Amino acid sequence: MFDEKGERYLDCINNVAHVGHCHPEVVKAALKQMEVLNTNSRFLHDNIVEYAKRLAATLPEQLSVCYFTNSGSEANDLALRLARQFRGHQDVITLDHAYHGHLSSLIEISPYKFRKGKDVKKEFVHVAPTPDIYRGKYRENHADPASAYADEVKKIIEEAQNRGRKIAAFIAESMQSCGGQIIPPAGYFQKVAEYVRGAGGVVIADEVQVGFGRVGKHFWSFQMHGKDFVPDIVTMGKPMGNGHPIACVVTTKEIAEAFSSSGMEYFNTYGGNPVSSAVGLAVLDVIENEDLQGNATRVGTYLTELLNRQKAKHTLIGDVRGVGLFVGIDLVKDRQKRTPATAEAQHVIYKMKENRVLLSADGPHRNVLKIKPPMCFTKEDAKFMVDQLDGVLTVLEEAIGAQTESVVPENTPCRTKMPKEAPSELLSDGTPDPKENPGQKRNRLCADKPSLLSKRLKT
Amino acid sequence: GAGPGRSARFSAPWRPTGAERPRRCWPCGGGCSVGHCHPLVVQAAHEQNQVLNTNSRYLHDNIVDYAQRLSETLPEKLCVFYFLNSGSEANDLALRLARQYTGHWDVVVLDHAYHGHLSSLIDISPYKFRGLDGQKEWVHVAPLPDTYRGPYREDHPNPAVAYASEVKRVVSSVQEKGRKIAAFFAESLPSVGGQIIPPAGYFPEVAEHVRRAGGVFVADEIQVGFGRVGKHFWAFQLQGEDFVPDIVTMGKSIGNGHPVACVATTQAVARAFEATGVEYFNTFGGSPVSCAVGLAVLDVLEKEQLQAHAACVGSFLMELLGQQKAKHPIIGDIRGVGLFVGVDLIKDKATRTPATEEADYLVSRLKENYILLSTDGPGRNVLKFKPPMCFSLDNAQHVVAKLDAILTDMEEKMRSCETLRLQPEAALLSPPLEKMKHPTQIHY
Repeated sequence: MFDEKGERYLDCINNVAHVGHCHPEVVKAALKQMEVLNTNSRFLHDNIVEYAKRLAATLPEQLSVCYFTNSGSEANDLALRLARQFRGHQDVITLDHAYHGHLSSLIEISPYKFRKGKDVKKEFVHVAPTPDIYRGKYRENHADPASAYADEVKKIIEEAQNRGRKIAAFIAESMQSCGGQIIPPAGYFQKVAEYVRGAGGVVIADEVQVGFGRVGKHFWSFQMHGKDFVPDIVTMGKPMGNGHPIACVVTTKEIAEAFSSSGMEYFNTYGGNPVSSAVGLAVLDVIENEDLQGNATRVGTYLTELLNRQKAKHTLIGDVRGVGLFVGIDLVKDRQKRTPATAEAQHVIYKMKENRVLLSADGPHRNVLKIKPPMCFTKEDAKFMVDQLDGVLTVLEEAIGAQTESVVPENTPCRTKMPKEAPSELLSDGTPDPKENPGQKRNRLCADKPSLLSKRLKT
Repeated sequence: GAGPGRSARFSAPWRPTGAERPRRCWPCGGGCSVGHCHPLVVQAAHEQNQVLNTNSRYLHDNIVDYAQRLSETLPEKLCVFYFLNSGSEANDLALRLARQYTGHWDVVVLDHAYHGHLSSLIDISPYKFRGLDGQKEWVHVAPLPDTYRGPYREDHPNPAVAYASEVKRVVSSVQEKGRKIAAFFAESLPSVGGQIIPPAGYFPEVAEHVRRAGGVFVADEIQVGFGRVGKHFWAFQLQGEDFVPDIVTMGKSIGNGHPVACVATTQAVARAFEATGVEYFNTFGGSPVSCAVGLAVLDVLEKEQLQAHAACVGSFLMELLGQQKAKHPIIGDIRGVGLFVGVDLIKDKATRTPATEEADYLVSRLKENYILLSTDGPGRNVLKFKPPMCFSLDNAQHVVAKLDAILTDMEEKMRSCETLRLQPEAALLSPPLEKMKHPTQIHY
């Protein structure tokens, strides 16, 4: 990306520009259709049918009915409606730190949002622990974290049922992004699906951030969990149109029929219009023609390799996790305690931007550097990014006195005298108040509410 | 091609020329405001698409320029803009803003209203929840200010005040139950309710009652904004110079088909929302391309003087339709303003019973004649006109001429009852009523 001065930046976060910013094929497809016809789905048109066919072909056979919307939020809202209409149940199980969208109905099921604001958790919403094996309840040293986390869901279902409540759905991002680039352990979804369906509910896989080949090996992230796991409803958005507002809900015939037989017709003014469908088709073509899925695997593996080498070098890096071009770097102050290095993460983001690399931080403690670049990201890009990161981390660690393991032994006493927060010189990029310790101020800002600047980078 | 219902293109420009006649369809309803595939809008989108299309976390001039241009069309108080992708998203945000600002929960809506397809909006759309999920306890329905078919009609001395008093009554009964009003939500010109023009003075009175109860007034301009009413840019402005809603939602025609929508509100409301600490972020909303498209639409509206055009063609259309009303008893009422017009079809002048099947049949016949119209209203009997703003005097003449011919034909058939079912030629030229039923509940 280029700023107004023409300075070039490496974009490591815009997963929305899936096939690459302003990809000419996609731009061309949009223009071509815009010149001919752009109307709504009450007028039969081939594009929407063609598009639905192509999408359905990427999914397991049962997922064959597509509803087109304009945003991931609209898609998730419709998914909830479909789930609730199906058997008339109301309750929803969601994961801690989940984010499903900005609409009223979705804030209710997004702890990432309602925990921050004054909203209270609704009684028909049940929050299960997020299956985070690095920082969650059950970690990598647990014998079977997948079952342990799935049993948490089972417990919730039982408690709800004891109170006479009925589960309509379990909804989860196939890989949590705002939650900190979390990859659920293998086997988790299968077990959860069993419990949820046993209670008459359906499983909704939110692929809004992570679909369309990002994980490399598969087109959809949920497919990483095996052929025996098939969600009942899948929502997709963001990357679908390379920036054009398109989203979609795909579900089974059974669920779709239950919805339409209720008498409720679903109509979305812009959803599925000929231009959006043409754009969506063009994106699918590019993914295929340029083997972006293959690229995601190759570059993703390489990137993770480079980052793991950085992890060995920098104690600030607590964990590197990822698959394909969806990677997270969990920064910690202390590797044993895994204390989130929030201020340091914010600092890294800014320094990286100065070095012309766009990154952002997320996770409940905003300490996970998240990497989900356009799929045309190359090995050279990966190397450049990691080199810059190495430089920034080195300087940062020197400043806070954290030693790289190869240089200083663990029990050096001077460490206890250093302040916990990063010192002011490093954080004062324009912070106005010289009297207050900018380091503390920044920490407070990060802890209590998002500062304006950090808000901007959270994508 | 124009096969059974399949549309492949609309020819442009819209001004009819003899050579292009056979293939053209005249759409009289739809979200396209300045004309299908308007070249300036297409160009703006294409140019921006080639340069940058990212999200609002990256500062960009387009969103600021666009907000500025929009603010110039609105009263000064409405100066904070949130950009989204659909009218539904806009109304959902409006609801959140209202609740956050007032601290209240309940909503007053008009009967037969339709505000969108999201969970939260079905709850406030009697058009949808009646007969489905039912009415929630925090939703309160006031009578639609329909002076043709509502409780207070054209013969009432002051229908605006009478209907507003109904809202006052609703608000009082809500308060008696210990509940609190967050907002009164209304389409500035209810469309799905049957192309209703609320009597002048109604909104200001309602606003008074609602604000006194601590609520805000939300004007849903999604169907009707952007100069459609001719006299003003926004339909709520028909209600008086001094009338300013607290929140205005816009969509549909805003982007000439591109998914754009917007919520405009006051600083007070915006600040209250911001104070929750939960930021509002919409991935695609306010993108450089969407804003470029929105700006282009505003440019076209201005350059081609489409607002004045709407006033001119609109009154001409109403005149022609008025003549038809005098001629055809099936036309109970003609109402409208600018290029937002409704033709209310009735079975009986005294009872004003909606002529539902006849309306349905008429629409199918019109389609055979390459004219796209649809119906609305609880009786699905109101022909609704809300064409692209470039709709011309010739287009109006043409449509009304066809309407006249078909109505005349229908009346002849009805005069001799047996011809409706028995005449073989009739069956060939115009298939029986049952086969012509096209999807109802069309709303754009």
